[in-house]
Amino acid sequence: MSEPILDVRATTKSFGGLKAVNNLSFEVYEGEIVSLIGPNGSGKTTTFNVITGLYEPDSGDILFKGESIAGLSPAKVYERGVARTFQMLRLFAAMSVLENVLVGMHGRTRANVLDCMLRTPRMRREEDASIVRAREILEYFPGRFPEVRHAQPASSLSYANRRRLELARALAGEPSLLLLDEPVAGMNPAESLEVMRQIRDLRDRGYTILMIEHDMKVIMGASDRVIAMDHGIKIAEGAPTDVANDPAVVEAYLGRRGADTAS
Amino acid sequence: MANPFSRVGEVFGRVPRWVYVAAALVFAIVFPMLESYGLMQTLWLRLGTRTLVYVLLAVGLNLVLGETGLLHLGYVAFFAVGAYSTAILSSPRFDLQWNFWLIMVIAMLLAMLFGFIVGIPSLRLRGDYLAIVTLAFGEIVRMTLNNWEWLTNGPGGIPGIYPPVIFGWVVDQPAEFFYLLLVVVVIVVALVSNIKNSRIGRAWNALREDEIASHHSGVRPTQAKMLAVVMSSGIAGLAGAIFAYYQQFINPTYFLFMQSVIVVCMVVLGGMGSIPGAVLGAVALDATPEIIRQTFTTWLPRAVGSDFLPAVQAALQTDFDRYRMLIFGLVIVLMVIFRPEGLLPNQLWRREVHEEDPREIEHTRQHLFDFEEGRQDLEV
Repeated sequence: MSEPILDVRATTKSFGGLKAVNNLSFEVYEGEIVSLIGPNGSGKTTTFNVITGLYEPDSGDILFKGESIAGLSPAKVYERGVARTFQMLRLFAAMSVLENVLVGMHGRTRANVLDCMLRTPRMRREEDASIVRAREILEYFPGRFPEVRHAQPASSLSYANRRRLELARALAGEPSLLLLDEPVAGMNPAESLEVMRQIRDLRDRGYTILMIEHDMKVIMGASDRVIAMDHGIKIAEGAPTDVANDPAVVEAYLGRRGADTAS
Repeated sequence: MANPFSRVGEVFGRVPRWVYVAAALVFAIVFPMLESYGLMQTLWLRLGTRTLVYVLLAVGLNLVLGETGLLHLGYVAFFAVGAYSTAILSSPRFDLQWNFWLIMVIAMLLAMLFGFIVGIPSLRLRGDYLAIVTLAFGEIVRMTLNNWEWLTNGPGGIPGIYPPVIFGWVVDQPAEFFYLLLVVVVIVVALVSNIKNSRIGRAWNALREDEIASHHSGVRPTQAKMLAVVMSSGIAGLAGAIFAYYQQFINPTYFLFMQSVIVVCMVVLGGMGSIPGAVLGAVALDATPEIIRQTFTTWLPRAVGSDFLPAVQAALQTDFDRYRMLIFGLVIVLMVIFRPEGLLPNQLWRREVHEEDPREIEHTRQHLFDFEEGRQDLEV
């Protein structure tokens, strides 16, 4: 098998006495959709935070495209090509829809302070190109962000559109790996279906996707591989149906008695 | 929608933005002429000049407070650094009279350096802590000025500051200072609004809205904040340098904590993150107390009779500085109640692009649309 695009090696992150992520290892290969599942508090989001640089791992290493990204700042990880969305939406509410996407390009644009103050031709060219690209990205969600909406504040969007905008912002960094934290949380069944299709489409466009999800339909319908966590430890890994039927996974969700009843 | 302001706002919002800028500029250019033709007391020209200094400060602080969302309570310290640069380098104190341009550059760079030094420890802090550290810094600078007698002459201040000479033009009339400041204000506003509408301005706004999300979108928080602090410090230094020339005499009492608070009020009053707001906030807060004083001590007595509220007249005439703060407070309380978003908030200012504000309607429509579409998807 080829080299993994993301290689998490024996990573541990604890808060006080609590090991939120405990000696966790897993790989994600290019072009895969991998789901990270587990009950609340099992360390999924912490794993995301460690990968994207919000937390520094206590031990272990994280390789992205063969290079260590453990301990790099979120901005640097983002520039390497790892973009994420958040479980609780984190948009720039007072900024316009277009600006939200443009912020996502910050790390890839180069105009310096003087360029910006004097609006040099170089800066204007870059700015124009950024705007064209931002519009293209918004076009990826057909009909959701018509022209009139570009100048409106992000806070004026519907919930589902805000989620889409957050994804658009992540895409603006031209990442190769997308980390989606519960992409369908709070969406209705039709919207979930759409997101699921979109995730598969993104994969077909060359993105690799690691997502945290609770919605079984989405997990089963979209992911190539599932990794289950509990108490910061990986308890199962494999094809979606195998993991869903794994006794350890059932026990993690339902408890021992629940697991006995289920089997 | 029942807001009575909205209809007025709609009418004003239709006038293109450049009309306002042009009108403000024309007014500013004509303003000193009123004085030279004897149509206006020199008092007002002096007020106008001081207001322009405040405009510079408000526009500068807006970078930090409005755009980047950092509560900075020691802004006057950088103003003091600029002012003392001029006072030391262009006065009989050390018998120096350095070139105007050189002093401007030194004042700016020195203030920026101070901004950088304060920024190193404090920008890692958030919210209240940053406010406390900057507040303390402001006081440290003032106390240093008060006690470092060898350099600053302590509380006695530095008198006899030489007027600036710009390409052979000696600037020593109030009207000349007004124009000098006007040119500086125009340049600073132009540069600042350019940077505001660039990737850097967006990074600042993103930080203000959500630091974690912006960090995960490629913005380096400490770097971006530092840039805002250093730039705004430079603007304060510049303002201070010109202020010292204009005042001809400075001492530490010009740089009290209250000054920082007043500038914060100007930015908040004008509308955070809005340059026209900062300008208007400065004008409104600096001019209002004077207008009220004139109303009660001159205009109303003249119209109604000189025995009009004699107690108020006397109080405003003798103890005006104390009442100035009272009026400030009153204006701010009224603002907070009736227009908490500021006089010219950023969103409102942006609205001129559209014929009318479609957001509200669009918002509702979209919710319905999403709902309908969701149902259709389900039926398929």
